Amino acid sequence: MLTRVLIVAAILAVATVAALWWKRRQGMVREVERAGALSSTTLGAQRGYHATFVQFSTPMCAKCPPTAALLGRIAAEDPRVAHIEIDAAERLDLARELEIMRTPTILVLDGDGVVVSRISGAPSEQQAREALAGVPRTGTDYSI
Amino acid sequence: MNDIQIDPRGPRFSAFFQLAFSVSALLVGANVGGVVIMAVLLALFIPGAIIGPQATVQGWIFRTAVRPRLAPPAETESFRPPRFAQQMGLTFSTLAVASGLLGWDPGFFLFTGFVTFASFLNSVFDLCLGCEIYLLFKRVTTRATV
Repeated sequence: MLTRVLIVAAILAVATVAALWWKRRQGMVREVERAGALSSTTLGAQRGYHATFVQFSTPMCAKCPPTAALLGRIAAEDPRVAHIEIDAAERLDLARELEIMRTPTILVLDGDGVVVSRISGAPSEQQAREALAGVPRTGTDYSI
Repeated sequence: MNDIQIDPRGPRFSAFFQLAFSVSALLVGANVGGVVIMAVLLALFIPGAIIGPQATVQGWIFRTAVRPRLAPPAETESFRPPRFAQQMGLTFSTLAVASGLLGWDPGFFLFTGFVTFASFLNSVFDLCLGCEIYLLFKRVTTRATV
């Protein structure tokens, strides 16, 4: 009996550590260096003039729809910012190339389509806004 | 296919049930009692794995006994992620029962342990393991087209 109690305790302890680690990583914004840019053609949707949130989702992802709503709302505030949602299960080519391991993962692109940062897991509104604020400005604010 | 929006607290409540069953099975051990408990849990997973979490006994208890006492949910979610998770639960409880029937005790503890692990994460930490694993699963099982 003691062995079995210890088995249960060990499983619950490992799960607790795993859950706390996972929660801490949730929405973490990391800088990435990746040469080359993602074009609107590759993404299958029009990139933003100043910045783009590229959100990878799957139909099985519970946190994806609220994240899409959040990023869509932030993008709607600025006409130069776009939000593109991609089904990673359909675009496995992109998921492999960009090493998308989980959903939602959000790549934040600058105006040239270069990945500036990467958000793993659903970000809070503050985390999403900070990631957007971290995009360096390319080009000008006006167009002729 | 039509999407059905469900209260996300339902699957989480159900996970407490599943946790109670799998922990009991681990404590009883790889004998007739443990296998019977896992067989009942297996049966509880079947409607959730085929139709969705809204069709389970656990879900029915949540709907009739718990939900009327709660405030309306802040957000709803699709039934698909929890259904995938129920399919994983069904798979592992089937493996556990099969191991128990074949007399392979380590297998019984291993697979019941997986159910315990996932139900615990889902109920206590609101972390759906099946939903997180789905993309990795898809990446491994689908061949590159390039």
